[in-house]
Amino acid sequence: MTVQTLPQAQSGPMRASFARRAIGSAFVLRISLIVAIFVALEIYGRMWADPAFMRPPTAIFDAFLTQILPEPKVIEALWMCVIEIAAAYALSIMFGVIVGLVVGASRFSRGAFFPIVLLLYAIPQVSLLPLVILMFGLGPAAKIAFGFSHGVFPIIVNVVAGMRDVKELHLRAARSMGASRADTVRHVILPHMVPSLFTGLRLGMTMTLLGVILAELYVSQGGVGYYTRVFAESYSPAPLFALIGCLAVIAILFNELVRIAENSLTPGKRRTRALKSSVKE
Amino acid sequence: MSDIAISIRGVTQRFGEEGSEGSVLALDNVSLDIRRGEFVCLLGPSGCGKSTLLNIVGGLFKPTEGSCTVDGRLVDGAPHPDKIAFVFQESTLFPWYTVIENFHIALKFQGIPRTEWDDRAMAALRAVGMASFARHYPEQLSVGMRQRVNMARGICVGTDILLMDEPFAALDEQTRMVLGEDLSQLLAATGKTIVFVTHSLAEAVFLSDRIAVMTARPGKIKTIIDVAEQHPRSPDFMLETRFSELRNECYALLRDEIRATVAAQRDPQFAGA
Repeated sequence: MTVQTLPQAQSGPMRASFARRAIGSAFVLRISLIVAIFVALEIYGRMWADPAFMRPPTAIFDAFLTQILPEPKVIEALWMCVIEIAAAYALSIMFGVIVGLVVGASRFSRGAFFPIVLLLYAIPQVSLLPLVILMFGLGPAAKIAFGFSHGVFPIIVNVVAGMRDVKELHLRAARSMGASRADTVRHVILPHMVPSLFTGLRLGMTMTLLGVILAELYVSQGGVGYYTRVFAESYSPAPLFALIGCLAVIAILFNELVRIAENSLTPGKRRTRALKSSVKE
Repeated sequence: MSDIAISIRGVTQRFGEEGSEGSVLALDNVSLDIRRGEFVCLLGPSGCGKSTLLNIVGGLFKPTEGSCTVDGRLVDGAPHPDKIAFVFQESTLFPWYTVIENFHIALKFQGIPRTEWDDRAMAALRAVGMASFARHYPEQLSVGMRQRVNMARGICVGTDILLMDEPFAALDEQTRMVLGEDLSQLLAATGKTIVFVTHSLAEAVFLSDRIAVMTARPGKIKTIIDVAEQHPRSPDFMLETRFSELRNECYALLRDEIRATVAAQRDPQFAGA
C-alpha cells in the first residue's frame, strides 16, 4: 500500500496529498460517519426528543452501566440468549451441512430433495411461531428450535449450490490420477464448496439470530424478551436501547467469529500467511 | 515386454442407446498400435471422437465394443494411474491448492510415499522452468504458465504414458510454440510414450512421430502419416520444405472431413461432444 501511495505523495504539495489520503481512506470515512451519527443523535436526544421514547446515546450508555450491568437477572438473560444462539447455530450447522451433503450428493438426489428444501425455505416462519411455542414451551427450547429452523435452510441451500458447480474436468482429472471416491470428496468437492459453505454460514448466522430474538420477543419469562417488554411498557427507553445495543454486540461478535473462521479456512484467503502444504497423507 | 505400449483393437463408442433418438456413434471400429516411446498425434475435425478415443485409452470411458490394452493389461473403463497420466485441455490444477500442493495431491492420489513428494514435484517444476512459482496459487499465474505447470504435473507422476487432450488449445500461438518445443525436449529426455490430441496441423507435424488423421464422425482412422525427424526438434524444422509438405498433406486429408463436420453440425444433435 505505502509503495503505491508514495509517488503520489511526492508529486503534489505535501499537505494537499495528506488531506486527500485522509479523506480517501475508507476507514477514516467510516469512523467519521459513525461519530457524526452519534453526535446527531446526542443533539436530537437532548434538544427535542420525547424522553419517553428516546434518550441521547450518553444516557443510554449510563443506563447500561447503572441498570443493565448491575442487574444479575438481566445479565443472566443476555447470557441465556448467547447460549440459545450458540446452540441453535451449532444445530443449524450440523444438520445444514449433513442434509446439504446428502441432497447435493448427486443429480438424482438433488432433483428429488432440493425442491422440498426450497419450498420449506420459502415459508414465512413467523407464522409458525405460536405453534413452536406450543410444542417447545416457554423456555429456551422454543428459542433454540426457532433459531435452528431459521438458520438451517440457508446453510443447506448453499452447501447444495457449492456441490452443484464442481467442474466436471476437475472430477475427471482426479479420477485419471487414481483418486478414490473418498479422495475426490475430500480434495475436490469439499474444498470447492468452501466459499459457498461460508456464504451459507454467514446467512445462517443472521437467520439464527433473527429466529432466536423473534422467539425471545414473542414470549419469554425473565429472558431478554421479557426485559425489553418491561422497559418498553414502563417508558424507559434508555435501558431498552442499552439492552438492544447488547444484542447488537452479541450479533456482531457471532458474525466476527464466522468471518475469522472463513478467513482461516478459505484457500484463496490463506495466501498472505506463511504457506504450508494442506495436503495430508 | 513387447514393443507395443498401447494397443487399440476395434474400438467402437456409441453414446445413448443404439437406434434411440440422440444416439451418437462417436468412434467406429478404430484400431491402432502405439509403440513404446512414440509420440502419436490424433488429428481430426472437432467432434470426430479423438478426445473420446483418448478417454477410452485412459480408462475414463468404457468402449461400447472393442478393447484397449496398455502394456498387455486390459483397460476396461478403469483408470491405470500407475501407467497413464492425463493432461487436459484446460488447466485442471485445483484452484484451492498452491502449485506445489497440486503436485502433492496428484502424487498422493497415485499412492506415492510422502517422502518423495517434494523432490518429484520440484524436479518436474524445474523441468518446465516454474520452480520459483511453487508456492503460488494457480490463479496468480498466466494461462500459459498454468498450462506449463499442468503439463509438469502430468510428467511428475512418472508414468510411461502421457495422454494429452489438446493441452495447448487455450493458449496463444506464441506460447503454444514455446510449450511445443519444451514438450519435444522433455520427450527426448524422458522417452515417454505420448498420445496427443490436437486440431492444429502445425502442432501435429512439429511434435509427432506419427500422425493418425481421423475422419469426421463417426471417427475412423483415415491415414497414418510418418514424420521422420529426431526429437528434440528445433523451431528450424518448421522452416523446412518437408514440414510444409507434411502440413499440406494433412490438410488435404482433412479438408473433406472438416466440410462433412461443418455440415453435420448444422444438425444440433451433432453439436458439442
